[in-house]
Amino acid sequence: MKRIGKLMFVLLALILVISACGGNSGKNGSNTDSVSSSGNQATGSEVPKNDSKEKITNLNVLIFGDGNTVKDLPIIQDAVNAHIKDLINVKVNMTIISPGDYVQKTNLLLSGNEQVDLMIVSPFFGYYSQVARGQLQPLDELIDQHGPDIKSVLGEDYLNTSRVNGKIYGVVPMKDMASGAGLTMRKDLVDKYGIDVTKIKSLEDMTAVFKVIKENEPGIIPLISGATGASMLYFNKWYDDLGDGLGVLPNFDNGMKVVNLFETTEYAEQLKLMREWYNKGYIGKDAATTKEVHLDVVKAGRAFSYFGPTKVGKVEQESNSTGRPMVGAEYLAPASTTSSVLSFMWAVPLNAKTPEKSMKLLNLMYKDKDLINLLSWGVEGTHYVKISDNVINYPEGITAANNPYAMGTKWQFGNSFSAYTLNGSDPDIFKKLEEFNKSAIKSKALGFSFDNSQVKTEIAAVTNVMNTYKNALEAGLLDPADKLPEYISKLKEAGIDKIIEEKQKQLDEWVKFN
Amino acid sequence: MYREQRVWQWSSHIVLFLLSLLCVLPFILLFMASITEENTLILNGYNFIPKELSLEAYRYLWDNSSSIFHAYSVTIIVTVIGTSVGLVITSLLAYAASRNDYPLHKVLGFYIFFTLLFNGGLVPTYLLYTQYIDVKNTLFALIIPYLLMNGFNVMLVRTFYITSVPKPLIEAAHIDGAGEWRTFYSIVLPLSVPILATVGLLQTIMYWNDWFNGMIFITDSKYFSLQNVLNTMMTNIEFLSSSNNSNLSSVMVQVPSTGIRMAIAVIAVIPIFVAYPFFQGYFVKGIALGAVKG
Repeated sequence: MKRIGKLMFVLLALILVISACGGNSGKNGSNTDSVSSSGNQATGSEVPKNDSKEKITNLNVLIFGDGNTVKDLPIIQDAVNAHIKDLINVKVNMTIISPGDYVQKTNLLLSGNEQVDLMIVSPFFGYYSQVARGQLQPLDELIDQHGPDIKSVLGEDYLNTSRVNGKIYGVVPMKDMASGAGLTMRKDLVDKYGIDVTKIKSLEDMTAVFKVIKENEPGIIPLISGATGASMLYFNKWYDDLGDGLGVLPNFDNGMKVVNLFETTEYAEQLKLMREWYNKGYIGKDAATTKEVHLDVVKAGRAFSYFGPTKVGKVEQESNSTGRPMVGAEYLAPASTTSSVLSFMWAVPLNAKTPEKSMKLLNLMYKDKDLINLLSWGVEGTHYVKISDNVINYPEGITAANNPYAMGTKWQFGNSFSAYTLNGSDPDIFKKLEEFNKSAIKSKALGFSFDNSQVKTEIAAVTNVMNTYKNALEAGLLDPADKLPEYISKLKEAGIDKIIEEKQKQLDEWVKFN
Repeated sequence: MYREQRVWQWSSHIVLFLLSLLCVLPFILLFMASITEENTLILNGYNFIPKELSLEAYRYLWDNSSSIFHAYSVTIIVTVIGTSVGLVITSLLAYAASRNDYPLHKVLGFYIFFTLLFNGGLVPTYLLYTQYIDVKNTLFALIIPYLLMNGFNVMLVRTFYITSVPKPLIEAAHIDGAGEWRTFYSIVLPLSVPILATVGLLQTIMYWNDWFNGMIFITDSKYFSLQNVLNTMMTNIEFLSSSNNSNLSSVMVQVPSTGIRMAIAVIAVIPIFVAYPFFQGYFVKGIALGAVKG
């Protein structure tokens, strides 16, 4: 026993010494760190605007993506810094944050005094509450002074969409601004049974298609949900959801009258159809509750089709994801609403030390093709090689799977339409996307955003009711004949009318000023 | 009488066997899922006896080993340093608090107890560690916050000292001329190996399984621990599948398959599996001794 004790002591002493050494070196390290960073901050804030040519400004930029797939980010950062130094005299420090922790991490960053000069924000991540808390800076003047290219690339419509109480707080990158609704199907089965996908123009048209699949392919579910946890009709947006789908604008106009989606005759009809499909076995029995990713289910050959938003290039993308050729049928024309435009934006937080520099950097992302490609694809020669003017390929030894700079979220970098396209994908994709954006129906309420602070309790109550009924109803699990009225009355009890009333009031107000 | 005892023994064994099955089966299922062929996994779900075996997930991990093994080594370093330093601090503090001839032992005891009930909350903690101590994006961020010392462990060790290290022994050591340090390492420590092993195991597991510190304090993927990598994958998948924005589908493509996630979970569990039996003897003894008269 005594010997063990001695041994233990020696061990403990050793550990103590080691950790003490570690502690010291760490302290030194972090000390120099904090010194240098505070030094940077000082240069950032003390430089007078006039002689900013002398000193370089440090900007901390938060980008959105999967940090595990961009190991080479430091290399790209150095290249970016070398590139932009002469243009705007700025040095960036990029931090990539994963979608899953984005809310938590950015909330902590913004609530502290940490310097964040430019970041991605989104209504998914609480854009409106960030504005309400005053964590973001209004950008109107900055854009006027330092963002001419932002204005010319985006145009007034998209720029104005992010206005809250009359001020712009976010700048959307150039990406797909609209979405329609479509059915994506397995091409092999479509060909096998000679299904004419161009004839699918409404939900009703699909019944015949599913019938063929159900009768001839016993092991395959004709229709599954297009996103985990989303209801069957989630993508069926024949209305502007005005932010949260509680009180909608049917057909993107409706004379600006907000209505309850669940009380419309269209919705009742659609539910009847879903019930019919369910009874005939066209919809999977577990559609209301499944947690499986739809692409995986199709990949494994267990399902024939799913609903989804449509855009240019989507079908090719999903063919890659499922490993099977897919074919799409669009039955609702694409439309731009506030939610589809504002999905992600760049914003300058209040913690920014030099907002005008942030704006200059942002402007560069809408202007400088080299910068955009650097951020999207990495360094030429290392991460990609050019094969023609606008088409690139991976260099030898690098594939999509082991690419050390696999930036999945390229659309966030400003004018992403001027990025290169990868060999094998559609080289005209961006032209087509631009056309797609232009041709989309623009909702009458594009730019309206709902401030729900007055009806928070009602929204919570209504959401509870929706969680109970919506998925099950839309997957046909419940009979709409008696359950839909029950659902509507429960919603009314929870106060959906008050939400709609409030929304109408705000929309009327908004119409007056626009 | 004898018969009755046997019946009792058998039935209790069966109950215990069933209970232990409940603990073991999920691990077996996890392992089986990791060696099931990907499409079979989606087609038939998780099965104890997979229809089609495939080591593809492990091959993938091996091919992309640099990032996984990097995270693995971060976890190991953090666990080893954290547990050892934590043990030293815990045992020393507990010793001081256990000696009732130390004038402030009651204050100290209350101070430790207080931390069990109250803490500063997330934002103040974050501000303290990033603005004043500046551990952000260092290994210290994974070691120090929340985990290094835990009031509960200190109480456990202190109770053990009070109840299981006879006071006369310490007095005898004093009379023989041993100073405080010598008394501690020659008398007290050898007697408290069981509790130290217990607390060491608790801390090891806490460090090994921690992803929270990584999520809050680490943005540089260089310092991601294994659990952090796993957690990021899971939260990303959850986020991507719950929000239905078409912009996100491009990120979706890169999410590793179910089999790979399972394989990472398997290799994350292995070290704990291996270490546990060595600690187990002490574990039972330590808990029982430390908990009595708590």
